[in-house]
Amino acid sequence: MSFLTPLFFLGVAALAAPILVHLVRRTRARRVQFPALVFVRQVPQRTIRRRTLQNIFLLLLRCLAILLIVIAFTRPFFSGGSAAKDNSAAGATVILIDNSLSMRREQMFAEAQRRAEAALDEARIDEQVALLTFDKRYTVINRFTVDKTKLRSAIGTLSAGWDGTDYEQALRGAESLLGEIETTGPKRIVMISDFQAAGWNHASATFKLSNNTQLTTLDVGGNNPPWNVAITNVEARGVVFGQKYLDNLVVHVSNFSDTPKEHVLVDFQINEQTVEKRDINLNSRDSRVVEFTGFNVNDGINRCTIDIVSGDFPTDNRFYFTLRRETPAKALIVESASRGRSDSLHLQSALTTNEDLPFTFTLKSTGSVDPASISDYALVILNDTGPISPALADTLSKFVSGGGQIIVSTGPRTEVESFNTALQQITPATLREAVQTKAGESVAITEVKFDHPIFEVFQESGRLASANVIGYFRSEPRPNAAVLARFEDGSPALVEARTGKGRVMLFTSSLGPSWNDLPLTPLYLPFIHQMVRYAGAREENSWYGLGQTFTVAKEREAPPAVDTPSGARLSENRLTPDGDLLVTAREPGFYRLRYNERPGFAAVNIDGAEGDFTKLNFPEFVVSVTGGAGSAEGGATNSNLSREEVEGRQKVWWSLLLIALLLLLAESFLARRTKMVKMIG
Amino acid sequence: MLPATTPARFLDPELLARIGSLELLARAVVEGFMSGLHRSPYTGFSTEFTEYRQYNAGDDLRYLDWRLLARTDRYFIKKYRADTNTQCHLLVDTSASMNYAHATPVTKLQYAQYLAASLAYLLNRQQDAVGMVGFAEKVHTHVPARNRTGHMRTIYGNLSLLEAAGQTDLTQSLHQLAEILTRRGIVVIISDFYDQPDRLQEAFQHLRFKGHDLVAFHVLDQNELDFDFTDPVLLLEDAETQEQMPVLPDVVMGGYRERMRKHVEGMRRCAAANHVDYEMITTKQPLDFALFSFLSRRSGK
Repeated sequence: MSFLTPLFFLGVAALAAPILVHLVRRTRARRVQFPALVFVRQVPQRTIRRRTLQNIFLLLLRCLAILLIVIAFTRPFFSGGSAAKDNSAAGATVILIDNSLSMRREQMFAEAQRRAEAALDEARIDEQVALLTFDKRYTVINRFTVDKTKLRSAIGTLSAGWDGTDYEQALRGAESLLGEIETTGPKRIVMISDFQAAGWNHASATFKLSNNTQLTTLDVGGNNPPWNVAITNVEARGVVFGQKYLDNLVVHVSNFSDTPKEHVLVDFQINEQTVEKRDINLNSRDSRVVEFTGFNVNDGINRCTIDIVSGDFPTDNRFYFTLRRETPAKALIVESASRGRSDSLHLQSALTTNEDLPFTFTLKSTGSVDPASISDYALVILNDTGPISPALADTLSKFVSGGGQIIVSTGPRTEVESFNTALQQITPATLREAVQTKAGESVAITEVKFDHPIFEVFQESGRLASANVIGYFRSEPRPNAAVLARFEDGSPALVEARTGKGRVMLFTSSLGPSWNDLPLTPLYLPFIHQMVRYAGAREENSWYGLGQTFTVAKEREAPPAVDTPSGARLSENRLTPDGDLLVTAREPGFYRLRYNERPGFAAVNIDGAEGDFTKLNFPEFVVSVTGGAGSAEGGATNSNLSREEVEGRQKVWWSLLLIALLLLLAESFLARRTKMVKMIG
Repeated sequence: MLPATTPARFLDPELLARIGSLELLARAVVEGFMSGLHRSPYTGFSTEFTEYRQYNAGDDLRYLDWRLLARTDRYFIKKYRADTNTQCHLLVDTSASMNYAHATPVTKLQYAQYLAASLAYLLNRQQDAVGMVGFAEKVHTHVPARNRTGHMRTIYGNLSLLEAAGQTDLTQSLHQLAEILTRRGIVVIISDFYDQPDRLQEAFQHLRFKGHDLVAFHVLDQNELDFDFTDPVLLLEDAETQEQMPVLPDVVMGGYRERMRKHVEGMRRCAAANHVDYEMITTKQPLDFALFSFLSRRSGK
């Protein structure tokens, strides 16, 4: 049984009135001297006792009447789930409590706890009950037990979390738990949630409850979800190398309500200093993109936030991310020393037009490279170098093993045998014969792995195939190498392989215009930049989602201490083989990484979709998870109606008031009869 | 019953209670009443001539009518009616239970005092010797019967000094008095008679055996008959033993009234069986009612 206005239970205090009157009247018995107690004593005492009992009976009638009136005012109603009680054998029930972020609204989670306790009350005394919470994952709080006190205590300790919602995961967890118990009684799942549409993807839902499992849904969200504007995503590069942020920092703002919202202020702050504000309007069910660019970024790690001022659910009105500005590393471009005009002109131009690259480049010919100086660089680009000295080859081999990055491109000056011999230790593929297309013919780069960081920028346009290649080397990739792109004939175009701690990429055509027209197309710049950035391997996430695990690099021997956004010291100590700390994001905000030299930060954000409080389509949901077998009728009926509507239909309070009235009439009759006896006597 | 127009009808006990002196009170009660209706149990020789009779041998020559003998030469003895030499003892119960009054300012003891004083005045007016006895567990005050000038002040003084205290042992006290009162007379017992009628019967017989005429005034408060309390619960305390008892009046009332009625009936039967003039009066009844009852009963004796 549930109560619509439980605060009226305070009225139980009114029970004290008849009891006090009873006690006061008892204690105020007047002492009177009487000369003839001998005759009073002879009156049978059982008459007095009966009268005393009659008085107590009257008192009980009054108390019961008041109690019923109080309960009537709390407007009680019966929620679903009582069917299980009617069966002779005790069943098993799994209570699923939604502790996702959306349950933080108002007193919603407290209501969920209360409903869970009510479900416990409704369970039979010998019924096995288990307790689970769920957001995007489910957590078993208590396995099956008949100890309701323990479960009630466990319910009391729960609190709403920060993560999104996944009803399918929750139902899977409950079903698997029910599979562990053998019972001839009914199996029941009581799901208590605000039932957001965002938690159920009907299109991809394949899960169905087994036929003998009954689903009862208890909705604590109400039928009119509040309006909400939320920041659902921020696209930003975590690491920049120039003073200005030249890319577009993209902010996604969504209006999840059916009414337009005007003048929503978007406030972008870096280190708690406002950088820029934008005033935007949002239509109903609208999503807008706000872009920021050209702002200055300080050295080191910067804590950035995007806030919207909308006065609704506050948790999703702020988005956290970090921008780290680092000093570019040194990179060396090595080319053949045979000509007057540098063959690396296009390459050099491409790499110096963007300040925001992880490297600063130095161009040298093979002859002028001092092998001893290689270790000063983080990246070496061997651009159609021709023959390489054994000393340089040996140095490069050590360079890669130690963590260096090498990009190798071939060209007309590349000699197969010399190449394969010199770079045998590091090359990701062994070169075969050179291919020259016939005049007027060319091949395209196809079979591109667009999910690779180098090519992901081309995923939407797919224009990489428009480059015309007239010369390239056929090659045979090493067993541990990955082919990222191929030419039309299937020959590898771009191959990468890790060697030691470093990595080598081999482009089997030229990076200059000798063997293709790539440098003359708009594709060249992004291709080269992406390749260099990838080689730089210094990209990092500007933020993490809840539940994601991020790495905190060790400082000297041990990882730094980490404080959570709420200020608590993190106690996790999962380490990678290299000694870095693995931290799983549990709450939104900035995790503080307490390095000795300079503190670091990691930003964590909630799932933006969780701010969409639109209600689930209940019939669709129930049919989908029960297969239309009708095992969730009671629950579904209950779920579609608000508590007020259910209470309004049942009108239990009418019956209670009627009974109370009858009790008062009976009390009045008995009391009057007692008085009449006195008067007649 | 007295006619309603009788002036003494207005002698309400509550009004009398305002009169401080018992003497004045008694006079106020008795004035207006007719002379005593009773006769002396002794036929003595007094001033009031009644008849002649012939002289018989052995008659006291003092009563021989010498003048008649001189005129007629016949021997006649003069006979006189003597009605003033009766002894009357007023026995007043002073046990603690007599200190009860409900809805009236006059306690049973006060009522008994007024009644005794009135009777004493009445009797004294008839030249009867009046004595007074106060008793509870035993006799504690005894004023022997006299008919002297000033004796009545002693009676009134002792009556007014009576205080209700102690437990009653009516039977014991009456047995004791039967031994004390050696000369025959009228014994008026004013009490609430909280004793077993069977036990009292023996005491009555004892007094009757000694030749006394017995008059019993059973004085009760009206509430002792009705048991009419407005309180739903009472803690009743026995006036004599101080024993306490919680009581629901409306529950107890019926049973109590029945038992009280049986007790009064038992007393009436006991009195009738022993030729005791019995009258049950309540403290709300005017004193003339009791006096009239007394005088009317005595008129036939």
